[in-house]
Order: sequence, then structure tokens, then C-alpha cells
Amino acid sequence: MRITKSRTRPFSVTPQLEPGAPCDLALTKAIQAEDPDALSQLYDRYNGILKALILRVIHNEAEADDLLQEIFMEIWNQAKNFSSQKGKPLGWMVTLARRRAIDGLRKKQAYARAEERLQNETEQQPDAWVHNSTEEEIVLSDTRSLIRKVISGLPPAQQEAIDLAFFRGMSQREIAAKTNTPLGTVKTRLELGLKKIYDGLKELKGEL
Amino acid sequence: MNFKEFQNQSRLYVIGALETEELEEFEKARKKFGKKAEDYIGECYGLHEAFALSLRPAKSSDAIKDRLMTMVRARKEA
Repeated sequence: MRITKSRTRPFSVTPQLEPGAPCDLALTKAIQAEDPDALSQLYDRYNGILKALILRVIHNEAEADDLLQEIFMEIWNQAKNFSSQKGKPLGWMVTLARRRAIDGLRKKQAYARAEERLQNETEQQPDAWVHNSTEEEIVLSDTRSLIRKVISGLPPAQQEAIDLAFFRGMSQREIAAKTNTPLGTVKTRLELGLKKIYDGLKELKGEL
Repeated sequence: MNFKEFQNQSRLYVIGALETEELEEFEKARKKFGKKAEDYIGECYGLHEAFALSLRPAKSSDAIKDRLMTMVRARKEA
């Protein structure tokens, strides 16, 4: 990994904006100055992505809507703690949303219920990482399709391990138990898969 | 732990997949590598963006936004 290059070219896959639209950082700074219109614009830009992320974790439409509202309220309340030196606004929002969604899942002890729903949705949902046979039929945005191309290039077992860790908040041991796989194998799958995604996205950055 | 191993662990760390016993070693290495480590971890958080952007956006109801903005404006005026 070329660290020197990384420092000068921060790793980000933020989608392109329409000409003249304020960037995420400008909106975040305006939110820090308590401008509700900035939050409104940020909501319009990212509510779909954040809701998709929440839904991927909790698999419940009504709960996802409630959580989405809570997360944007938290973005409003916590904006003062955001520092652009630590990362991009979208990364911060996604991290926050994922944490809240996984916390919500755990608090409700809904693993079993979600498990069943996930099983059903994995069979039906064309957007799932694993077993995605209808991807060609879906019109994807450029950014999404490029990212998906990187992810879908991984062996299914690596995709599954990353999916369970990122979207379900599972530890290596939990993944090992769920997939009936040795712990060392799970670790290797995660390491290899994440490295491939990381390297692949860095290469793609020029195309985004 | 050398820096290459630290990089591997960092990618697991940002998605919360390090086990408790690995976390301790990771934090030691994080201290040892200092700013270089923090920069790399910061970069790895880009994976969060990528995973979110890999999903097809979901539609949320207009009522959610209305409720949110009402709360935000009320909070601001309070």
C-alpha cells in the first residue's frame, strides 16, 4: 500500500454532484451554523442511501423510517463534533447510521426475527451482495455500479463474511458460528476481501 | 506487529470485526505508528461510504422529512 500517495489523495467514493450544488462539506458547515435548509439539502441528497443502509441492517420499513429521522436529528445535534480532518461528511453520516442501526437491532434482540427476514430477502432482493443474479437488469448509478463491480468480484464466501460483519455487526466468532466455518478461515476471508475492496476502490477513484 | 499487518487489522477495525484480544494489540500498534496509523485508519473509514453507496437507495416517506424539519426548526427557536 502506498501510504504517501494515500495522504495526498484521500480515499473517498463520494458521488458527483450537479454543477453549482453545494458540496457536502459546505452543507455540514452550514449545519454547524444551525442552518435548517442545509440539513434539508443534505437529507434530500442522502436519505435514500442512509435508509438503504438501515434497512440492510434491521429489515423493517417502519423502524427504518423512525431511525432515519433520529439519525438526521443526531446529525443536526452532533454536527459541531464533525471534523473534516477526520474524514468526509458522508463517511461520518454512514458510520453514525450504521452504529445506530446495529445498536437498534441489538437492543430489540431482534436477531432471530431479522435472520428470518434476511433469509427471505436474500432470496428475493436483487440488491443483495450475495447470490445477485439479476444485477444486469437494474439500472445503477455510475458510482454504485463501479463499487458493486469491485464487490461482486470477490468470492461469495468473502462477500458473505464482509456482509455479516458490516451490515449485521457480527464479530468473527459470530460469523464463524453462523457459517459453520473455522475462525481462522473467517479472519482470512475478511482480510482478503477487505483488502481487495480497498485496493479496487482506490484504483476506481480516478473513474468516479 | 509491522505496518502491513497493522493495515490489515485497520480494515477489520473500521468495520468492527476485531476480536477483543486483537483490539489490545491493535491499540498498541496504533500508538506505536502514531500519525501514520491515524491517517490510515481515517482512509479505511472510506469503506463505510463505499458499502453504503453499493446499495440501491431506498425511498422514505415525505412525512419523515416534514417531521424532522419541524423538530429541527423548533429546536433552533427554543
